[in-house]
Amino acid sequence: MTLLKTISAALIASTMTLALAATGSSFAAVDSAPAATQPTLEQDAARALASSTADHTKFEALQADFKNGPEVTRACLGCHTEAAKQIHQTQHWTWEYRNPDTGQVLGKKHVINNFCTAVASNEDHCSACHIGYGWADREFDLTVEENVDCLVCHDTTGAYKKLPGLAGHPNYETMEWPPKSGRLRPPTDLKKVAQHVGKTSRKTCGACHFRGGGGDAVKHGDLDSSLETPARYLDVHMDAEGLNFNCAKCHVTDGHEVAGSRYGPTASDTNGVQVRGANTHRNPATCQACHGNGPHSGNAKLNDHTRKIACQTCHIPAYARGPRHTKMSWDWSTAGKLDEQGKRIRTRNSIGKVHYDSNKGHFTYDRYVIPQYQWFNGKVKYTLFGDRVDESGVVKINEFLGGPDDPDARIWPLRVFRGKQMYDKGLKTLAVLHTAGNDDTAFWKNHDWDKALTAGMKAVDAEYSGTMGFVETEMSWPITHMVAPKEDALKCEQCHTKKGRLAGVDGVYIPARDRIVFMDTVGFSVALLALISVLVHGAIRIFVSSRKKV
Amino acid sequence: MLKIFAGFFSGIALVAIVGWNTAGGLMMTEHESPFGVEETAARIQANIQALSDHGWKLSGLRSPSVSVAAAGQNVPPVLLVEACSTKYSGPLLAEDATRILSILMPCTITVYKKDDGKTYVGTMNAGLMGKMFGSKVSSIMDKVAEDQKAFLSFDADKPAPPLIKTRPGGGKGAGGQELSGC
Repeated sequence: MTLLKTISAALIASTMTLALAATGSSFAAVDSAPAATQPTLEQDAARALASSTADHTKFEALQADFKNGPEVTRACLGCHTEAAKQIHQTQHWTWEYRNPDTGQVLGKKHVINNFCTAVASNEDHCSACHIGYGWADREFDLTVEENVDCLVCHDTTGAYKKLPGLAGHPNYETMEWPPKSGRLRPPTDLKKVAQHVGKTSRKTCGACHFRGGGGDAVKHGDLDSSLETPARYLDVHMDAEGLNFNCAKCHVTDGHEVAGSRYGPTASDTNGVQVRGANTHRNPATCQACHGNGPHSGNAKLNDHTRKIACQTCHIPAYARGPRHTKMSWDWSTAGKLDEQGKRIRTRNSIGKVHYDSNKGHFTYDRYVIPQYQWFNGKVKYTLFGDRVDESGVVKINEFLGGPDDPDARIWPLRVFRGKQMYDKGLKTLAVLHTAGNDDTAFWKNHDWDKALTAGMKAVDAEYSGTMGFVETEMSWPITHMVAPKEDALKCEQCHTKKGRLAGVDGVYIPARDRIVFMDTVGFSVALLALISVLVHGAIRIFVSSRKKV
Repeated sequence: MLKIFAGFFSGIALVAIVGWNTAGGLMMTEHESPFGVEETAARIQANIQALSDHGWKLSGLRSPSVSVAAAGQNVPPVLLVEACSTKYSGPLLAEDATRILSILMPCTITVYKKDDGKTYVGTMNAGLMGKMFGSKVSSIMDKVAEDQKAFLSFDADKPAPPLIKTRPGGGKGAGGQELSGC
């Protein structure tokens, strides 16, 4: 009876407690603040002029009515006599890089990607992002000094734009842009641009590097136009109202050679702070070059992490964190479908981005993307044209090397772009597609795979076998921009847990993710024994106490 | 008598502990979405509009993460899809006793990303909440709960609908952003 009363009382109390709890609720409000304000182009130009020792509007050589870009370059070289020679030595110009570790000849001119596949046969479009004029085909002369485009990097007006299809030239006459948009773009005022040159800026670098792969935020994920005037949350270094770094602050340039390249990246830097100006032949675009080897003052444990983990892993918790969505995948296998009238189809996704295009196939996009993580020692092996591919699996277009036992390797965050692209079934190699152009063989003109592949393969001196298929591919980039403020770095529990960020990274013991069975067994046994002891001890005391009362 | 009181208070303590730990989970439901944040929100909006015969209308789309980013902090994207059905809200707003439940209006469905990179949808457990406020509210909230299930029913074969950027009250978003924040 006593037990029944006890249970009844407990149930009544439970109901009352639940009823009371149900009436309570709490809300949280978050304040908002304005984002970084965007300076006008005039303000940018005025700032550039204020810090310069030369007012180019006063230069006699720049008073001419230039007809084309090379004429401007000739005027530039009249004073800057060595500039073109320097440029000719750079990867920005040659689009070529010989990897000393693998011997592979890389660079845009040679690699295959899983966007538009290759530069070869598409030069007049791709060269809209080359720092030169006239690269329309493989016959382009890389030794001509006047072909260097000074303005694309040194323009401060924002009015200079190289358009796809013009072989690296801006438009010199009025033209409709974008094509079929009905909008007319006036001729480029070369004189005005030439008279307003200055240092490179986030805008000039971003003209290509924010728009790689055919559009804003498409290719890199950690580079897009939101970095032109970023707020602090997006990039603590480039914060337009804070440190306000431009690209060259890290990518220090010497003789027009820009430090830092994805073809020869530095995965680990243990050399500490690099004094600017010191002739060390080190890559100055590493975190350690400024922050040193022990950047977490007073926290030896965090500094310990740098032996295994790249700074970027914790300090770039996600990429594409701004308002732009980055492209995540490209499926060429569905390209070429036309509507009932034989016209090009373009459909858009929920945010209005093209998600199917007859010319290109299907795309997916994402924002605030969690990177993939893997060991990386700075060495990258590419699958180049001619390398045999296994169509049954996923072809890694570039493979990041390194493992846990490699002293140069660190765990890096990667952007992995997934594609389904053309390969030559007969040759068993990734195929080069002639995409853009007004000729009859361009895929975007005729949607004829055989014609476009024949032309594309011919551009790399190969003969298309006549049979093609589609193979899944992956291409990766180390994530290194969009550095978050330190308070937004990854928290311990985001990795130190079973299904955390580093769940797929082998070869390193991560407490809370990994366990040593013997240690766990001993520890839990001790804890269990202690609990049993307490319970037994308590039971004995209760028993003895009740006996005394009796 | 002492034992009865001991049992009573033990019961209170036990329920308080259990309730404290589970109440949050009971009041909210969370589902994984096969789509990205924006597409999930857009599909929910389309489903809401498809139930216009139940009185449902979209009443807003907010992004609290936009406000937080404007304040300088990184948070994954969050979208709040807001909808209201006068068919259900009318009877509740008509009476003094239940008018306070307007605090739950408009009906909000949250779509967000987590650290695993996946998209999730969170809803209020309308059925359970309704039961706490008497039979009239309960019967209405049961219908809301049924409709909520329909909101979250996705057909992957259907093309992604456009995201409808409805601003609550037609005003501009916090910090001049495209969407209203908190």
